[in-house]
Amino acid sequence: MKCEQISELLPDYLQGSLSPDQHRTVEAHLQQCADCSEEVAVWRKLSLLPVEQPSPMSRVRFEAMLQAYLAGSSNNPGDNSAWRKRASSWNFFHWLRSPLGAAAWSAALLAIGVYAGSHLAGPKPPSPSSDLAKVEAELASTKQLVVLSMLQQQSASARLEGVNFTTRDEQLNPQVLSALLHTLRYDPSVDVRLAALDAVSRHSAQPQVRSSVVNALQEQQSPLVQVALIDQLVEWHDREAKPHLEKLRQSQDLNPAVRQHADWAISKLN
Amino acid sequence: MTLAPDEDLMLQVRDGAGEMLGVLFDRYQTPLFNFYSKLTGNRTLSEDLVQEVFLRILKYRQSYRPGTPFRAWIYQIARNARIDHFRKFPAERAFEPEMLPPVLPTDSAQEHQEVELLHRALSQLPEDKREILLLCRFQELKYEEIAELLGCELNTVRTRIHRALQELRKSFHQLSQNTLLKQANAAAAENLPPRGGRQ
Repeated sequence: MKCEQISELLPDYLQGSLSPDQHRTVEAHLQQCADCSEEVAVWRKLSLLPVEQPSPMSRVRFEAMLQAYLAGSSNNPGDNSAWRKRASSWNFFHWLRSPLGAAAWSAALLAIGVYAGSHLAGPKPPSPSSDLAKVEAELASTKQLVVLSMLQQQSASARLEGVNFTTRDEQLNPQVLSALLHTLRYDPSVDVRLAALDAVSRHSAQPQVRSSVVNALQEQQSPLVQVALIDQLVEWHDREAKPHLEKLRQSQDLNPAVRQHADWAISKLN
Repeated sequence: MTLAPDEDLMLQVRDGAGEMLGVLFDRYQTPLFNFYSKLTGNRTLSEDLVQEVFLRILKYRQSYRPGTPFRAWIYQIARNARIDHFRKFPAERAFEPEMLPPVLPTDSAQEHQEVELLHRALSQLPEDKREILLLCRFQELKYEEIAELLGCELNTVRTRIHRALQELRKSFHQLSQNTLLKQANAAAAENLPPRGGRQ
């Protein structure tokens, strides 16, 4: 058989989808024809090309993009199909221009720079495991930067997103934890403060978490947050909180429902 | 780990479970990255395009129909993202072979050389030929899916793959010959007596 006829069969031969008869015909031809057999050899050699790995930043960027997208689309009040409406007006560059996007982006770029710099300029790392640890450390510090910049955003939904972002990690970096505690005390939005309380409550083993929650009790004006704080203290069964609860219930312009809740908490802690 | 088929996950994403896109990202970011990096030779651009693909999935998720093979669908988006990018930035189109990945030191010398030659041979192919080889060799797309992707007949796909492979073989052959010649010359030069001969 001639090369031309074989060439019609060759692509299917390469994918192994020929009938046994056709397969034998092609094999017989390959025995005699150097060009065709070289073609098959080159095809097989293509598998030698290494699979390249994207940098770890790729996942971080995706995560930030997805979070920003989800936050953006759940922000349309009273619209269940918010996703749908939002999608048409959304594009990547809008996101980049938004304060959240800009912050996440600059943090991501910084980390890419650090990563690239340490990898391209530095000497070869001694072992793959220390290399991996380094990448993981860099990744963690990027996430940290993204979170810290999110907590500084003007938009409440961006800050909320920043708070939620921290709930994925079992361990919190001290800087992130103190930023969260600051958010719990001073954030202007009730929703963000409630989310921050939820986020820090996962880290009650850290001594400053409990004391901050107790202190927040005196400072908060919103009944919603006050009730959430009281619930948290009861959940922890924090007896030391009792005098603070007493003090709270005596404040003059306390919401009656909160006062009742404080009474209930005091009885629980006895 | 979720082992749900891609198609089920995509339907969930379409119906509002945006977080499921993370699973699809984990499955596809490396193949897509390799598709782009082998096509353009540019890692940074490749990572940007991978992000763009997932953004477009979010944007167009309502257009995903049940029964559509997800792999074919995502490569359609990937091709379009690249075409749009080069339409906007035609100057970035040139293949950048200096961005080729380093070859692992564990490879044998011969394998090392073959990989390098293959990379060079592949980068010398016209873009459409390079693309079709990447699609069928690395992205595990069936010829039928490639035909749909490129908007042509199944037989045309076979012919185009064969032509691309022919050209790759020629180019690889040529490069191998040149390298052998250079090595022979270098070896000959080493055997020459030092200038001025013996004193």
